[in-house]
Amino acid sequence: MLISLSLTALILTDGIILGMVELMVGGITKTIAGEVQLHKRGFLDNFDPDLFMESPGRSLQLLDSEPAVSGYAPRVITGGMIASTYNTAGALIYGVDAERELGVSKISDAIVTGAYLSGGEREILLGIPLAEILEVTLGDRIVITGAEVGTGEIAQELFRVTGLFEFGPDEYDEHLVFINLSAAQKLLAMNNGLHEIAVQFHDPEDAKNTRLPLLQQLNTDDIEALGWLNFNASVGAMIEMTNYSTLIIGTVLFLLASLGVINSMFMSIYERIYEIGVLKAIGSKPNDIIMLILCEALLLAVISAVLGALLALGLGSYFAEHGIALGEELEMEGVNITNIHPRFIVSQFVAFPIYVTLLTLAAAIYPARFASRIIPSEALQRSL
Amino acid sequence: MSNAVETDRVEHDPVRTNVIETREVCRYFGTEEMQVIALDHVSLTIEKGEFTAIIGPSGSGKTTLLHLIGGLDNPSSGTIELSGENIATMSGTQLADFRRDHIGFIFQAYNLIPVLSAEENIEYIMLLQGISADRRKKRVQEMLAMVGLEGMGARRPAQLSGGQQQRVAVARAMASHPDIILADEPTANLDTKTGISLLDVMRDLNEQHNMTFVFSTHDEKIMERATRLIHLRDGAVEKDERK
Repeated sequence: MLISLSLTALILTDGIILGMVELMVGGITKTIAGEVQLHKRGFLDNFDPDLFMESPGRSLQLLDSEPAVSGYAPRVITGGMIASTYNTAGALIYGVDAERELGVSKISDAIVTGAYLSGGEREILLGIPLAEILEVTLGDRIVITGAEVGTGEIAQELFRVTGLFEFGPDEYDEHLVFINLSAAQKLLAMNNGLHEIAVQFHDPEDAKNTRLPLLQQLNTDDIEALGWLNFNASVGAMIEMTNYSTLIIGTVLFLLASLGVINSMFMSIYERIYEIGVLKAIGSKPNDIIMLILCEALLLAVISAVLGALLALGLGSYFAEHGIALGEELEMEGVNITNIHPRFIVSQFVAFPIYVTLLTLAAAIYPARFASRIIPSEALQRSL
Repeated sequence: MSNAVETDRVEHDPVRTNVIETREVCRYFGTEEMQVIALDHVSLTIEKGEFTAIIGPSGSGKTTLLHLIGGLDNPSSGTIELSGENIATMSGTQLADFRRDHIGFIFQAYNLIPVLSAEENIEYIMLLQGISADRRKKRVQEMLAMVGLEGMGARRPAQLSGGQQQRVAVARAMASHPDIILADEPTANLDTKTGISLLDVMRDLNEQHNMTFVFSTHDEKIMERATRLIHLRDGAVEKDERK
């Protein structure tokens, strides 16, 4: 029972952690950032608008021809001043290709009032908190002030609020604005230049594969292609930490289960000490007794592992479908989490039961050796 | 120092050979301050084919001597030779093999393995000996017939009476064709009629197969049938009489 419950707890814990990591990674990569980003080398250091990809054609061609890529979005990014009739605020201005963003980010999904970008020259999307600061609503005028690339000349352009969005985290809603790509390129006088290309893959694991030929081709002396683990190192470290936490939880659970196994095996041996004495008396060798106890432990482990895995499957399926409510909204690495949907994978139901079985066998070695050393005469007298 | 032993000398059959020989065997239990002497310099020989009963009051050392002879326990001092081999020098595995091949045990509480059928209980020791399945099955049926339990082989111990269980225990002890059968109070848990019936089975086996039986017992029925009585008192041989 203890072994089964430990295995169930471990699978569920791993499923919850995996679900949480997936939620965080999904939150980061699917919201805006993408799984891979292309920039001119040095751009990410301080978002210098002068560091832009002047001729991104080769990169775009490579992305167009790669079947592993599910979508990409070219962007212009610059810091600027956003002014309404009543107020001003600093913001990070994203010039985006409205159509391509649909396959890469969730800007469209985050719109709560108004409409998403349609390609119009003066469209602008604001976060609700920023709109409140600027005291504007749909249709109101906004002036963006920025600096042209290269010359650094002040550039201004008038926009009208077409949509208000809410991603959740304040760092998005208070500090980001979205305009159309062409408008941004015009504002910054950068022709067809781009600051960023965000890429999504069909298989998110591709973004972690630094040996992927596409990533190697995209990386040049001038342009760097970074997976999300590289441009969001803190999340990578957090995932590393969650792996360790699973290991620690697993170790503690298995240690407790091992003590349970040792205790159960000793109880079983003491209950049958007379029987073991008889087996030894009639010629069973110490190794025969060890094998007997280990076979029992194996049987116990296999039955427990199957029961534990089935219980985990049942509970896991329920929680995977209904999610686990956290009660209060939890913000982790810029991602708001209110409900975790545990994620279960085949390896949890294969590898963990195998570990449990091996551990049970290992835990049974000590009781088995004890049983093999029972002196028959003492065993025969003890229970008489 | 050897204890004085009163022995009724008998003429030894020249074809008889010693299967059990103990020399100055002592067995102590407890600590040095609270030492209990279970056996005190016991020296005796038992020859092949003898039907010997070790008798004496409770605590006289009967079971301890039987366990030492059977290699279930180690003497504090002295030597025990079975069929000419000193069992004290054997490793655990060698001793297990020796017990398997040369000694059969019958215990007071039958000690059948409850999850195995009567046939399987008898077969187990032959399995340890590595005997082929065909030969095992055949010998199991022979053993069951020998102890009068034909047709009951599939029953579990719980489905057998005490006498029937002890017959299975006798069959198990016989199955490996041992040189010696050691029986610790084999009739203690049986009623008189069943006990006599079982003893007759063992006496027949002794006479027909010249198998050596050594009993520890209080049972007068066994004493009547024994060809030799070894009297123990306070861990020492008080009297050794052959009939």
